[in-house]
Order: sequence, then C-alpha cells, then structure tokens
Amino acid sequence: MDAGSGIGMLENNNEEQLIQLQHIGKHYRLADKTLHILGDVCLRIAHGESCAILGSSGSGKSTLLNVLGLLDLPDTGNYHLNGIDVAQASPDQLAALRNQLIGFVFQSFNLLPRLSALDNVALPLTYRGIAPRQAREQAHAMLVRVGLGERSEHRPASLSGGQRQRVAIARALVGKPALILADEPTGNLDASTAQEIMALLIELNREQGVTLIVVTHDPLIANRLARRVEVHQGLLREAGAA
Amino acid sequence: MSLSMPLSSGPSAAQILLEALNSLRMLGRRSLLALLGIVMGSCSVVALLNIGGNAAAQSIAIFRNLGSDTLVLQLPPQPTGLDGLPLRLSVETLGRQTPAVASLSPVMTYGAAAIFNGRVGNANIIGADPALFEAARLNIASGRSLSEFDRKEAYAVIGASLAQALSLPDDPLQPGDQLRLQSYQFRVVGILQEGAPGMLLPFNANETLFIPMEGMTRINPVPQISHVVARANSAEEVIQAGEQLRQTLAQRIAGDAPVTLIFAQQILEGMQQQTRTFTYLLAALGVVSLIGGGVGVMNVMLMNVSERRREIGVRLALGARRRDIRNLFLVEAVALTSVGALLGAVLGMAGGWGYAQLSGWAFFLAPGALPLGIGSTVLVGLFFGLHPAIAASRLQPVEALRDE
Ligand SMILES: Nc1ncnc2c1ncn2[C@@H]1O[C@H](COP(=O)(O)OP(=O)(O)OP(=O)(O)O)[C@@H](O)[C@H]1O
Ligand SMILES: [Mg+2]
Repeated sequence: MDAGSGIGMLENNNEEQLIQLQHIGKHYRLADKTLHILGDVCLRIAHGESCAILGSSGSGKSTLLNVLGLLDLPDTGNYHLNGIDVAQASPDQLAALRNQLIGFVFQSFNLLPRLSALDNVALPLTYRGIAPRQAREQAHAMLVRVGLGERSEHRPASLSGGQRQRVAIARALVGKPALILADEPTGNLDASTAQEIMALLIELNREQGVTLIVVTHDPLIANRLARRVEVHQGLLREAGAA
Repeated sequence: MSLSMPLSSGPSAAQILLEALNSLRMLGRRSLLALLGIVMGSCSVVALLNIGGNAAAQSIAIFRNLGSDTLVLQLPPQPTGLDGLPLRLSVETLGRQTPAVASLSPVMTYGAAAIFNGRVGNANIIGADPALFEAARLNIASGRSLSEFDRKEAYAVIGASLAQALSLPDDPLQPGDQLRLQSYQFRVVGILQEGAPGMLLPFNANETLFIPMEGMTRINPVPQISHVVARANSAEEVIQAGEQLRQTLAQRIAGDAPVTLIFAQQILEGMQQQTRTFTYLLAALGVVSLIGGGVGVMNVMLMNVSERRREIGVRLALGARRRDIRNLFLVEAVALTSVGALLGAVLGMAGGWGYAQLSGWAFFLAPGALPLGIGSTVLVGLFFGLHPAIAASRLQPVEALRDE
C-alpha cells in the first residue's frame, strides 16, 4: 500500500481547475458562542494562476489558506483539489496530497532548527520515500535555484530572515508541487528583502507554471499577482487592483 | 471525475534512526533520570538471568561430581563408644544394620607434612576404610586403590594436586614411590584423578593423602572418627539410608550429642533457597525499576512532544503521515531505552560475575541473559513510548502549527 507513487495519478484528470471551493463554511466554538469565520465561500483557481488573498486582520485569510492547504477541513461545503474530493480522503491520502501537490511558505519560515538548510529542503522528499542521497541532491539543486547553494550546510539560526525564507521556498518547491500557498511570506522581512522574495515567487509562477496563492496585507504585493480576492465577513469577493 | 488518491512511502529506517539519535542528544540531562531507572531495570534482569543460569549449572555440576546418592554423617567431637573408649566402628557390622546403604567408610582426619625426596607438602591425611573410594566416588588416575589386604600396610593413595605439589618436572611422584609422614615411610600405591572439590565431603580429595584407618595410630596417637561417608543404593533411598545410619551410629555413641546428616540434596536445596531469595529480590527490583524507568521515558517523551508541536505541524504540512510522526517519537523512545538497556546489561553481567565469585561458582554468560534482558527493557521503552508517540501522531496540522 506504500508503494504507489502518486504524482502521475494526480495529473491524470482533465479538470482545468486546480482548486474548486463550493459553499465552504468554517466556524469555531468558543465557550458557548459560535464564531462563523467563513460563511459561504466559493472559489475557483485554474492551474498556473496567481492570486492574492486580502482582508482585514482576523477576517479569516489564514483559515481559508489552511483549508486550501489541507491543514484543516471545512465544516460545510465541498472542496475539490485537482479533481479530488478532499472530504473523501483518508488522513494518509491527505498527507500524500500535501506532500505531492502543495508547497507551503509560512510567515515565520518554520524551518526545523536542528536540521541544516539542505536537510530542511530534503525533508518533503524523504516523506515520499526517496533515498537520502537522491533527496539531498535534489535539495541542493533547489537551494542553488533560490541562490543559496553556498549555504546548504548552515543551520537556520545562522541565516538571515530573507535567506531563511528562501530556504523555506526551496523546501516548498523541491517536490515539484502544483500549488504554492504562502501566508504573509514577507511579513517578517524588510521591504527590499520582501521585494526579492516576491520576485522569486512570481518568477516561479511565470516560468514553471506553479499556481501561486499569497495571503497578504500589502497592496503593493497583491498588485503584482494576476488576481486578487478579499475575505470579508465570511464571504469572498473579487477585488480590483488596490 | 478522477478520485485516484496518491500514496507516498515514508523515510527509510536508517534515516529515522539518525534523526532520533540526533534529537536524543538534545534531550540531554532530562533523559538521564529516566535512563537511571532503565539502567537499573536492565541490570537487574540481566543479572537475574545470569545468576539463575549459573546456579542451575552449578547444581548440575554438584550432581555430576558427587551423585545425589552420597551422604555424610558428622559425628560429635571426640566420640566415645559405649565401652567408654574412643569410638571404633566395624564397616561390616554397620553395613549389615543399614540395608539401604551400599557402601560406607568412617573417616579420620589429621594434618601433617608429607615429605618426598626432600620436598615438603602440607597434606590433609584421611584414615579410612577401602570402601571410601567407592562411597565418595574417588577415581584412580594411575596405580591402584587401597584394598582390604592393605589394612595393615603403610600404603597411601594421594590426591592429584598434592602429588603435583610434591613432584618436579624431572622427578614426578609415581605409584611405588616412598613418602615420609613424620617418622614413617608410606608407599604411594595410587594417584587420584583431579576432581572438582566436593561441597559435601569433609575433605578436598585433591589435597589429601588417604591411608588405611588402621595406620592412623602411627602418626596420630589418639585418632578419632569425625565423619562417616556413605552411598545409598540409589538416589531415592538416600534419606532412608541416612536415617538408618544415623540411628545405628547414635546407638553406638555414648552420650546424646547429635549425629548430623548431610546429603547432596540438602546442599542443593540450601543453595537453591539462597539463590531463589536473591532472584526474587532481583526480579522485584527489575520490575519496579523498569516500570519507573518506563514512566520516566514516557514523561521525557511527552515533554519532548509538547516542545516540538510546531515541528510536528511543519512535518505534517510537508506530507508526513500519522505513522511517520508516531515512528519518529517511538524510535526516539526506543533509542533512549536502548542506551539504558546496554549500560544496564554491562552492569548486570558484572553483578552476575560478582555473585558467582562470592558463591564460589564458575561464571559463564547464561545464553538467554543478554537478549532477554535487553529485549525486555527495549519492549518496556516501546510500551511506554507508545502513548506519547500516538498522542503526537493524533495532532491536527492546524493545531500543531498554531502553537507558538
Ligand atoms: N482555533 C481557533 N479557535 C477559535 N477561534 C479561532 C481559531 N483559529 C482562528 N480563530 C479565529 O478566527 C478568526 C480568523 O482567524 P485567521 O487567522 O484566519 O485571521 P487572518 O485573516 O489570517 O488574520 P491576520 O491577518 O491577523 O493573520 C480570528 O478571529 C481568530 O481569532
Ligand atoms: Mg493570518
């Protein structure tokens, strides 16, 4: 049961939409009050698109991104990712989908402090059963791609914020995912480093056709993406250029 | 719509182990306390199995050397006969009155220097009936045993180590040689085979010079019978034979000082009793420390899991399955206990060796001791590591990631 290698299987559908959300609802129960964070969210994103998610603080952007990234399951509605009904998937299958379809970039980088940059980048590959040597070779190639070929043996603690986020991007990309989900990827970086990181993400989207979804507060960043949607009072609406 | 689901296979065993060892170093001092319990537990189990194994081997050795049909009666000091003179015993009469006894011999003990070609050896001298060789299973290596016809002769049979001590490489002591005991010359007619020193017999045959009982007066003017060594018809009759002999002897000895009966079975039981008490003690210690150590491991691992919630979340986001997370922490728990198990095994072997030395047994490594001791300890680690590992694997990715 372990043996299947999934990427091939994932691509053999004729669905042109990568993401299809229908009437997604998500609420939290606090004490005896119910907080409706997402009420009725519908969203379609095609392969290769780039999209910014905007909205005020606490509006539910991260909640939406977590649903998109299979880190959280919606309470109501349907979510099809690459034609697969997420509600039908077992925990192991969700793990495999995260591993093979999705790459995450977090605001706080979330690198494992005890592993070198190289081992951090190789980690998703080891969860795919790729032999360590091969995984490290591919990881190194990806570090070179984000301009950190020289730093592969460094621990995250000895890297700057921008460098850490580059490592995180390399880790998100090493498995050749169809989708990059970034939650305020430049939130912890200074303006010029933020520009570089965004330039890198957009370049990957343009040149490699990776679908890119970025949660951001920054209209300048949002404007660099092809499409903008805004979370507002539990609903999602298309937004023009800010 | 295609519903085909991808499945990925996890990281290799070597990779998991490497990561586990790496993170164990980070646990550092906190794991030491947990380790202490594990070490003690493993140590007790290994020592226990070893001591048990050695004790069993030792009792087998006793049976083999002596046979379980041998018995020894210890007479009161300076036994007097009913006639008021020092006790004299006739082997034939005694034998007739004790049907369960196959052979028997009174034993007189004396210590004197034995001199051979100017070399002096410290000899334990036993005066006995020729039947002693049969009763105590003493085997001749060269020459012959003492016989009925030697009663009046100054003949001797010598134990292997004593003969060795009196020999030189170019001048070995051989049957036919003359030995001097005080002012008397004794002819050595036979040399005994080397044997394990019996725990039962009142002498160590290897260091003894055996002479006919009648000759004892030559070197000791007032020889006294100290023991009677006998052999029962069979191992089953050993108690019966002992009783018969004891009663018969008691009737012949003036006064009511007791005649003490010792037989191989008794010694074995004493030894087993002593070992049993000790093994129970060790078993209890082992169980208690293993449980203590296990709980310690569980604690360390629970703390470890809660400190690394965020890491768990990241791993889940990168595609780790529940079982990958479970294995990550399970391997760490097992690696932690294995370190303790190995340390404990070394200590346990040392303990087993020490006990064997104290008891005067031969030490050898009991075959099951290491695998069973280490195995059971590692199982304890696995058992107590299971709960934290499963708790870690049940974390939902969002929850784990939210942890700051
Ligand atoms: N586990 C939870 N339990 C209760 N409430 C929660 C939980 N997770 C999130 N929320 C609430 O849901 C709302 C949306 O949170 P979310 O993190 O999605 O906001 P956001 O749009 O990403 O905000 P920000 O821009 O500040 O990151 C918030 O009001 C938050 O308090
Ligand atoms: Mg947020």
